[in-house]
Amino acid sequence: MPSSSKASRTVPLLLPTWLVLGVFFLVPLILMLGISFAERGIYGGLRSIPNLGEYLRSGAFLANYARSLDGIFLKIGWRSLWMAVATTILCIVVSFPIAYYLALLAPRRWKGLLLGLVVVPFWTSFLIRTYAWMFILRSEGLLNLVLVGSGLLRHPLELLYTQTAVMIGLVYGELPFMILPLFASLEKLDRSLLEAASDLGAGRVQTFRRVTLPLTLPGLAAGIVLVFIPSLGQFVVSDLLGGARSMLLGNLIQNQFAVARNQPFGAALAFELTTAVLLLLLGYAALARRRGGEDPL
Amino acid sequence: MTGRGPRRLLAAHTALVYLFLYAPIAILVVFSFNAARQTAFWQGFTLDWYRRLLDDGLLLRAVRNSLEVAGITTAAAVVLGTPAALALARPAFRGKGATQALLYLPVIIPEVVLGAALVTFFGAVELRLSLATVVIAHVVFSVSYVALVVRARLAGLDPALEEAARDLGAGPFETFRRVTLPLALPGIVASALLVFTLSIDDYVITSFVAGVGATTLPLHIYSMLKVGVTPEVNAVSTLLLAVTIVLIVAAHRLLQKEL
Amino acid sequence: MKKGQQGQQGHQGLQGRQGHQRYRRGWGFFVPAVSEVPVVLIVLLAAAVLVTACGGNTGPAPKVVNIYIWTNYLPQEVVNEFERRTGIHANVDTYDSNEAVLAKLQSGVADYDVAVPSDYMLKILIPQGLVRPLDHGRLPHLKNLDPRFLNQQYDPGNGHSVPYLWGTTGIGYDKTKVQAPVAPVDSWAALFDPRHAGRILMLDDQREVFGAALRLMGRSINEKDPAILRRAAEMLKKQKPLVRTFNSSDFANLLAAGDVDLSQGYNGELAEAVARSAGRLAYVIPKEGGTLWIDNLAIPKGARNVDAAYAFLDFVMQPEIAAKIVNHVHYACANQAALPLIDGKIKNDPSIYPPQEVLNRCELIEDLGETTQLVDRLWTEVKAQ
Repeated sequence: MPSSSKASRTVPLLLPTWLVLGVFFLVPLILMLGISFAERGIYGGLRSIPNLGEYLRSGAFLANYARSLDGIFLKIGWRSLWMAVATTILCIVVSFPIAYYLALLAPRRWKGLLLGLVVVPFWTSFLIRTYAWMFILRSEGLLNLVLVGSGLLRHPLELLYTQTAVMIGLVYGELPFMILPLFASLEKLDRSLLEAASDLGAGRVQTFRRVTLPLTLPGLAAGIVLVFIPSLGQFVVSDLLGGARSMLLGNLIQNQFAVARNQPFGAALAFELTTAVLLLLLGYAALARRRGGEDPL
Repeated sequence: MTGRGPRRLLAAHTALVYLFLYAPIAILVVFSFNAARQTAFWQGFTLDWYRRLLDDGLLLRAVRNSLEVAGITTAAAVVLGTPAALALARPAFRGKGATQALLYLPVIIPEVVLGAALVTFFGAVELRLSLATVVIAHVVFSVSYVALVVRARLAGLDPALEEAARDLGAGPFETFRRVTLPLALPGIVASALLVFTLSIDDYVITSFVAGVGATTLPLHIYSMLKVGVTPEVNAVSTLLLAVTIVLIVAAHRLLQKEL
Repeated sequence: MKKGQQGQQGHQGLQGRQGHQRYRRGWGFFVPAVSEVPVVLIVLLAAAVLVTACGGNTGPAPKVVNIYIWTNYLPQEVVNEFERRTGIHANVDTYDSNEAVLAKLQSGVADYDVAVPSDYMLKILIPQGLVRPLDHGRLPHLKNLDPRFLNQQYDPGNGHSVPYLWGTTGIGYDKTKVQAPVAPVDSWAALFDPRHAGRILMLDDQREVFGAALRLMGRSINEKDPAILRRAAEMLKKQKPLVRTFNSSDFANLLAAGDVDLSQGYNGELAEAVARSAGRLAYVIPKEGGTLWIDNLAIPKGARNVDAAYAFLDFVMQPEIAAKIVNHVHYACANQAALPLIDGKIKNDPSIYPPQEVLNRCELIEDLGETTQLVDRLWTEVKAQ
């Protein structure tokens, strides 16, 4: 069939989406890219550039990107990265056994209820689940009341506004997003394959490594993407549980727009974050494809 | 298969994870009934905090704003995203790859970036921030979700069905109404439900683009959190949890009857 | 929470086989995976849309005023009374730093009708044309205000603003935890003392935090010398590991709850915490001096409900309303006619209405002009450290 007739059928279907995403997504992104090369004014806003040629020749348009390579900001990027990696790993470690149990071992009678219990946190507000930890970790929060009240500790632990608190909040918030994809792919796992493996003399470890794990890779891939990206751009958890102290990239960007009034710098940081996420995803997708898994996207 | 020992171990781990998931929520709920204002000491049962919520006009307005935004967003995203999914379900055509990339981008881009880009854009075109700008921002990420989810549903379908309908003399509109739409419907509904939830719960993007008097529930809760841990926040949270659970259970029940 | 959806599409690869219908039928619907036809859910959704549609306004648009104000600065009771008396509906949003106000008003897309910037911020907003000139003829209750707070250098003749509340910035601390020889706390040095590591709260406010460091260096809070500002920034970076949190909204509660032992903070909220603490807490303006600030009501350029804004401004200048606000928020007001109606406890609290000799030690923050950019930058670095 000639492609022109196909195109004539798809254009009206796609036009509204192209329009909306073009105007309200691509244009804003391009605008922001432009602003990332600009200079801020004294009190904020943008400084007007009298001589564009000179501005470009002097290299001043790269100042925001150059500044973002400053040691302090690199450290924030590094901290954000390892927090996101640690969150993802912790989520995998915690999720895999429970997903495995739910999918393959749980008694049929309870399965529905158990799955429902994972589903509920998945659908409840992230903000509220973060707040729950604020409530627990405060000096006069429940955990300390119990620890001190029972005589286990003399002084309350300082938990809120620490890196540990941020970590707990991130793992708690992201956990359902790892359990559910893993569950879904384990659930699909054909039991007869496992039985076949053991009939063929494969040990438990071998069965797990050579059958279970490869077959759950798509779920694992989905879970990693789901957990890693939001953790990387996070600013709510680090704000509420980190006490505006341990800044992550998300906080830094938000701060440039909401308080520091340095849109050009904020825009440059936002672009670096986006590029990093895209590169990581593309690399990851390529890797997954090479290993014969399905495209995680 | 898994032996008895490992099985017990896995069961124990599962129990612990449930404890981890639910203990904080349970504590939150229990202490929404605590008479003490400042501490976590139990000082007797009270419904005061709930009574106060009912008097909080701002909170009620925030709830209404959130419902309004989520409702309109969902409707708009479904109307825009479904046709895109139908197009994408067709065999290769020029621009398919680009369209897919365009749809993935809003989903994978960090929320803080999307929020910042949109507020910059609204400033540049001098569009005043309001509930409308919140809806626009939510539609931007929701369209992608609807399109991708519905397409996933259609991808598993047999194209022969549509062809058969056409061979049997059905016009394009009838084929759509009697074949394609019913087949796509589960995907549409699932995506609508998810988009609705995402919209009603979004804080990050909304915090950038919410205009004057356009405070949504997450924004309101966040400002309550910033001012401190108070039992009122526990009460709001409890109510929200209750609504979520009731909705999930109701949907689940209805769903089971349906099948 | 976008990721719910990402789950959805992340999963499509999992949809290929049909062998797992079992779970889809049950809770599986909620697992991010495409599910069977739950037509009922459409009804649920439609109902939600309908409810919101019907919730919309049917009559003519009601009068509203959009207020942008500091947290803990406008009691709900006063808002309710304003709505009852004027029939104008008040939307209140809050912020916790002057810089946030500037960012919002500068964006040009937030059409607040009333904002409450502090002194130095007005000095920035007025020349940029971000606030409107005021018509005193529409503010009959202006006569109630104390002349001491009128006609200040940041807004001569009150052409653009009227004073609302005023106060000081100092240190709140827990007397039982901060032991001798540091106690009683009387210097900003206490906030830089390693003995209090992890027990210190600083305001999340660049000028105040730099102010504490500059004061300790024996400089003015309005220092403009870049070299000295950089030294102050170094000092603050060294202090950072001692700081538990930066917080401008909840500092008094965190001090009262024992999360910190020392808190930089504004006098009103701290005074309230001190009054409730049965002698455990105290508020002090350090010997090097503190900040005196005056927060002012102004009408931003983009205001759309100017009449309602004037109505609100005049409303809060009425003596009984001003007194009600002070009795709730524990900050002093600039309204002398309200004084007889203010609680004796508040009126006689030296941390709320400080004696003149203490006020003499305090300084108003001033606009730094071009140096603003440097301070913004250094503050970002301190926070990023």
